[in-house]
Amino acid sequence: MSKRWLAQRERGHRWAYECMLWVALRLGRKAARALLYPICIYYVLFSWTASRGIKTFLGRVLQRPVTLTDLFCQYHAFASTLLDRAFLLAGRYHEFDLTIRDAKPLLDRVDRQQGCLLLGSHLGSFEILRATGLISRAIPIKLLMHQENAPILNEVLGNLDPTMLDSIIPVGEPETMLRAKECLDEGGLVGMLGDRPLKHEKAVPCQFFGHTAQFPSGPMLLASILKVPVVLFFCLYRGGGRYDIHFELFAETVNIPRENRAQGLQEWTERYVHRLEAYCKLAPSNWFNFYDFWESDK
Amino acid sequence: MEEWSLSNQAPFETEIAQLLVTTLNLKVEPAKIPPLDPLFGEGLGLDSIDALEIALVIHQNYGYKLRSDDPDNTTIFSSLRSLCEAIQKNRTK
Repeated sequence: MSKRWLAQRERGHRWAYECMLWVALRLGRKAARALLYPICIYYVLFSWTASRGIKTFLGRVLQRPVTLTDLFCQYHAFASTLLDRAFLLAGRYHEFDLTIRDAKPLLDRVDRQQGCLLLGSHLGSFEILRATGLISRAIPIKLLMHQENAPILNEVLGNLDPTMLDSIIPVGEPETMLRAKECLDEGGLVGMLGDRPLKHEKAVPCQFFGHTAQFPSGPMLLASILKVPVVLFFCLYRGGGRYDIHFELFAETVNIPRENRAQGLQEWTERYVHRLEAYCKLAPSNWFNFYDFWESDK
Repeated sequence: MEEWSLSNQAPFETEIAQLLVTTLNLKVEPAKIPPLDPLFGEGLGLDSIDALEIALVIHQNYGYKLRSDDPDNTTIFSSLRSLCEAIQKNRTK
């Protein structure tokens, strides 16, 4: 299976990122946000592959023709969250106006030091979790992440807060899931994004807005093997400095019997995909998978 | 060639090969897993979820706890033979 999001070259140059960072941190969020307009117009005009992916997604969610304004809004939401990563890594949390919903089930478990799997997606921004105070609760929190994606950007941002790298578990190594287990055993949180299958990972085909797409099997397998609760999170960008952070207790235990693994995995993954669909409808402009997500229904 | 590869596994390697096949529900004959072939990526094609399950079952059966920060992990996970050597060196039961 092709992994088109991996194949897509990172668009953006080091000098451009560094220049943007300088504007953001010296001249402020307002000045930096003004620059997002020409940047997003550039992407609307020239980033055809990404635009095609966005159009397919929006067409299936909105059920109407997709306009150039829709495209622009998509790039603008993405660019805004990307820019905000800089402020988050620099610790400037006061820039944001956060609404946090249903965090209690998660916080109860954090207080009991019960390891939890935090399952998100590329709908919205996960970096904003930093501003929720979860990270300052002195519990280990690790994020399973593909590091091949956007290496230049990650390096530029990593300079802002070198501890960022400590909180990442790189995927694709034999030890990846062992690391996740050790973090959960210590009562920590392990974050995963459940919408992009990784290289060599078994994928689960699910109906997503009426068409078959491939979803990763890792999150549900991990939850079932380690018997940890799964809490969904969606950090939706709502314009300006506003973010709505939704938590949702997905399952206390994900029970997938070994003898019936394929079927159990299918059912649990479909349940996640249903929730993902619901949040996509809440904030379609937050869909940041800018590639052919359905792989043309292969 | 087939006969040769069957006899190529040491008895403990056959035992672990059997354990891998049962635990991971692999569609191969345990005796046909070449002891020097890579377990991950190429070769047997295991992934890190499989590694986690192997680690759990090895801990349960042999009392050896594989750790993610073990500097020898690349070697340990490189083949059936090296995995078996690590188990035999560190087992407590």
